[in-house]
Amino acid sequence: MIYDNEHLLPGQLGHFCVVLSFVAALLATVAYFLATRHRDTAAFEGWRNLGRFSFLLHGFATLSVIGALFFILVNKYYEYQYAWANVSDDLPFEYTFSAFWKEQQGSFLLWSFWHIVLGMVLMLRAGKWEAPVLAVVALAEVFISSMILGLYFGDFRLGAGAFDLLRQTMDAPIFSQQDYLTQIKGNGLNPLLQNYWMTIHPPTLFLGFASTIVPFGYAIAGLWTREHKDWLKPALPWALFSGAILGLGILMGGAWAYEALSFGGYWAWDPVENTSLVPWIILVAGIHTNLVARNTGYSIRSTYAFYLLSFILILYSTYLTRSGILGDTSAHAFTEMGLGIQLVLFIGVFSVLGAWMWFVRRKDVPDINAEESSASREFWMFIGALVLLFSAVLITGATSLPVWNKIVQAFQPDYVGAALKDPMAHHNRYQLWIAVFIGLLTGVAQWMRYGERNPEVWKKKLVRHFAIAAIAAAALTALNALWLNISAWQYYTMLFAAMFGLAANVDYIVSFIKGNLKQAGSALSHIGFGILALGILGTGLNKEWISTNSFAMEGLIEGMGDESLNKNILLLKQAPMPMKGFEATYLQDSIERQTRTFSVRFKKQDGKGGYTGEEFVLHPNVMYDRQFSKVVAANPSTQHYLTHDIFTHVSSLPKAELDPEFARQQEDSLQFDPYEAVVGDTIFTKKHYLVVEGYTKQPKHPEYKPEKGDLAFGLKLRAYNLDDTTGYPAEPMLYLRPRKGGFTLPANVGQLQMRVRLNESSMGQWLGMEEELKYTDLQLKESQSVDFNGYRISLEKINRTVDHPSYAPEPGDIAVAADLKITAPDGRTGAAAPVYLIRDSRPFSLKDEAPALGLHFRFESIDPQTATMTIAAAQASGEQREIPVEIAENAPRSDYIVLEAIVFPGINLVWLGSLLMLFGLGLSMWRRLR
Amino acid sequence: MKRSHLIAIAVVAVAIGILISASSDVTTYANFAQASEKGDRVKLVGQLVQDKPVEYNPEKDPNYLAFYLRDDAGDVRRVVLRAGKPQDFERSEQIVLTGQMNGETFEAADMLLKCPSKYKDEEVYVRSEKG
Repeated sequence: MIYDNEHLLPGQLGHFCVVLSFVAALLATVAYFLATRHRDTAAFEGWRNLGRFSFLLHGFATLSVIGALFFILVNKYYEYQYAWANVSDDLPFEYTFSAFWKEQQGSFLLWSFWHIVLGMVLMLRAGKWEAPVLAVVALAEVFISSMILGLYFGDFRLGAGAFDLLRQTMDAPIFSQQDYLTQIKGNGLNPLLQNYWMTIHPPTLFLGFASTIVPFGYAIAGLWTREHKDWLKPALPWALFSGAILGLGILMGGAWAYEALSFGGYWAWDPVENTSLVPWIILVAGIHTNLVARNTGYSIRSTYAFYLLSFILILYSTYLTRSGILGDTSAHAFTEMGLGIQLVLFIGVFSVLGAWMWFVRRKDVPDINAEESSASREFWMFIGALVLLFSAVLITGATSLPVWNKIVQAFQPDYVGAALKDPMAHHNRYQLWIAVFIGLLTGVAQWMRYGERNPEVWKKKLVRHFAIAAIAAAALTALNALWLNISAWQYYTMLFAAMFGLAANVDYIVSFIKGNLKQAGSALSHIGFGILALGILGTGLNKEWISTNSFAMEGLIEGMGDESLNKNILLLKQAPMPMKGFEATYLQDSIERQTRTFSVRFKKQDGKGGYTGEEFVLHPNVMYDRQFSKVVAANPSTQHYLTHDIFTHVSSLPKAELDPEFARQQEDSLQFDPYEAVVGDTIFTKKHYLVVEGYTKQPKHPEYKPEKGDLAFGLKLRAYNLDDTTGYPAEPMLYLRPRKGGFTLPANVGQLQMRVRLNESSMGQWLGMEEELKYTDLQLKESQSVDFNGYRISLEKINRTVDHPSYAPEPGDIAVAADLKITAPDGRTGAAAPVYLIRDSRPFSLKDEAPALGLHFRFESIDPQTATMTIAAAQASGEQREIPVEIAENAPRSDYIVLEAIVFPGINLVWLGSLLMLFGLGLSMWRRLR
Repeated sequence: MKRSHLIAIAVVAVAIGILISASSDVTTYANFAQASEKGDRVKLVGQLVQDKPVEYNPEKDPNYLAFYLRDDAGDVRRVVLRAGKPQDFERSEQIVLTGQMNGETFEAADMLLKCPSKYKDEEVYVRSEKG
């Protein structure tokens, strides 16, 4: 069958380019491999040129694939599964990027893109290292481009396709129709991913992932060509670059989690976070041994090992997050796509390659026979690298339990599997000691010298500066202990160690390099680490839930009575609620597109029953799906201060607000009792009483948007508790809309759990009232008065400024209002201003009424000769008529939110410390490139 | 003895020490019966029992959620989690809990929900935390 309006060309081109990109990567690998083999012969140039050509061809093909896929997404070609699943017509353009790399295929393409960019830089700059390093990059590209091949070999599919047609992936009756495309719409992007973090975090992180292949490639190249010393220099700036970018990518992930997701923190030791942190830690260890090797000749073997391991761990991280193996231990992982085998092969090949090369060549690597002096910098840097390795092993071991379980289950199917009881507590407990060692080592090693052979000479200086650092650290520890809630000696140890590293490195910048910031890269990074450690202690130890109110909750708690467990507080609309240090009020909510935003005001309390005057309004929101039938994301809102943040998010909503079906059932199950009353009467219900204050033809109701032609009626009531004098307004209403029908909108009195409505069946009675009126014509001149049914009606003035609710001025109108003043027999007075209007040469009369008196007026005509107005007046009997009202009590409240509010002290130290650490890496790289 | 050997021995000793002390951080997957038997904290996987009541009354206590869970052996027990009820709790396909039995009730320390979604299999993590 030929289908209407399908755009098959971009998909065919894209698929062709996928295959081309795979083949070209394969060719580049072989060519660069042979170029390296023949590096000292005449054949070198030919192979290298072929390698360059095929790598660039691979780059061109991959960019074309990216272009084709992007074209399909931008143009919303829903015949493609990728477009159908990830975009929709109403998706703003800027989120097309998020939609692009949300899926495995797109993120592999992003990774590939960075490999190509880095490969091209290497082609220009790497010189003799180009061939071996690019052979490695090209080999990785063979695997990555195979992930999106989508070719079938029998039943096995190699790679997930990116250009699959929807009708090929899905079996549905709709595809038997030629014009099926007119009937399908895109799924759209998960609202959780519709934010700018999803636009900037993945490219940064994937550049970080991709850049780790360069140190790996240099390590392989060094082992391969047996030039074990030469590669150390060019590899170092690449490793520093990788450390800075990968670190930034991880940090952005933390910032995203903190700013835009409702995790309530920036780091949760989630497997996905851990497995991207571990390669970074190993890379940093490699940078340190690389420095040692460059300066002394020690630690070349460990530098090889660390750089090889770093990229292998990136692959392992890819495997864990993309194979679906993490299952129930991670809150965020890709969905499984059947790429498990290919991913295992990818890690397997690179691990075997790295390990085999290292073992084969290990005897060949030059080493110094003498031991390092224990007063030398290289010794302590090596110890530091070992500590980092230890940290990585601990994190990886605990994170790999699901892999371990799977392996054991393969041999022993009834094995139940192990898991961490409490991952956060576990990791924190051990990594705390890593931080202690790192803090101390960064302080000690910075002051030592490479290749120290005369420790005695240097000793005096060392002792003096260590003493300065220790005293400063003790002072800083004591100072920080004033604001930190330190509960155990371990935290004091960590604080002291971090402060020691910080003080020693500040001292180093001031007294050793005399403020020459060009050489301060390492010291700045180490200071950053100290600040980060302080920030971690602040946010970890002093993180405080302020959304509790032990007094208001007292006696309500079932089971365990530990009030410190409570993290959430219930906020009723408009009802101020005291909580820890603040008074919180849920002011209002508003809906725009699929987002419902709540305004919550916080007023700081001074602890003595008053306010400090400080107040702010936060706007946490929730995002609904398109049917408004469920909440798909709750976005936090944070008040930032220099010293702390106040973080809030809506953790729960009334069920009636989430589920329209449930809300309907709830409404139907309410017990409404009928009552009747006239204006001025009081209605007594079981628990309350209501005063009928009047009615209006221009009612206001949160769910009512007036339209032209509506006939509306609202009753004004005020409801009271039987034993209270506080009145709550209630204004139920009815309206009749042309061609739509009649509607009743009940009034909610949340505070009294009361619902009041006007019965729809009484609609005719209200809206038809007009016809029952009997008008009498009155002749009036300006300033005259006349008697009507005992009421004194005086025409005060003919007003040319017309202000009438149903009058909207148009050019050419002639409109006048008759300002009437009415005095009743009992002395009550009222006013009305009916309008006489000539529009398009046709006369209209707009009526007005004095509701309290029950009088209705129409401005019938003007006699210009005598200046006499004809006013038609009628007295309604409506006021004396019984008004049927239906009232339900015990209505479930749905005007509340459940809020979680957390204070994060020192969060800015976390950001500052991390950024300083990465800035130091970047600075070191920049210095080494010059 | 060379110093590098001393370091190697120290590293191995610390590693063994950590392995031993960390073994108490690890728990196993279990069902209700096994959890009762162990008395210790376990991981438990099950499904929400749809026809039994889910108790969450934020006006009374926004930090108390109780429901009934069927484990993979088919046993049904009441579960209490001291946290707010996540959105879409009722739609969850699978619930993974960490916690221990207290009498006939399972007291959960955290909960991971797997919810079907048109976007992808969504997961929601809830944690009740002391202090």
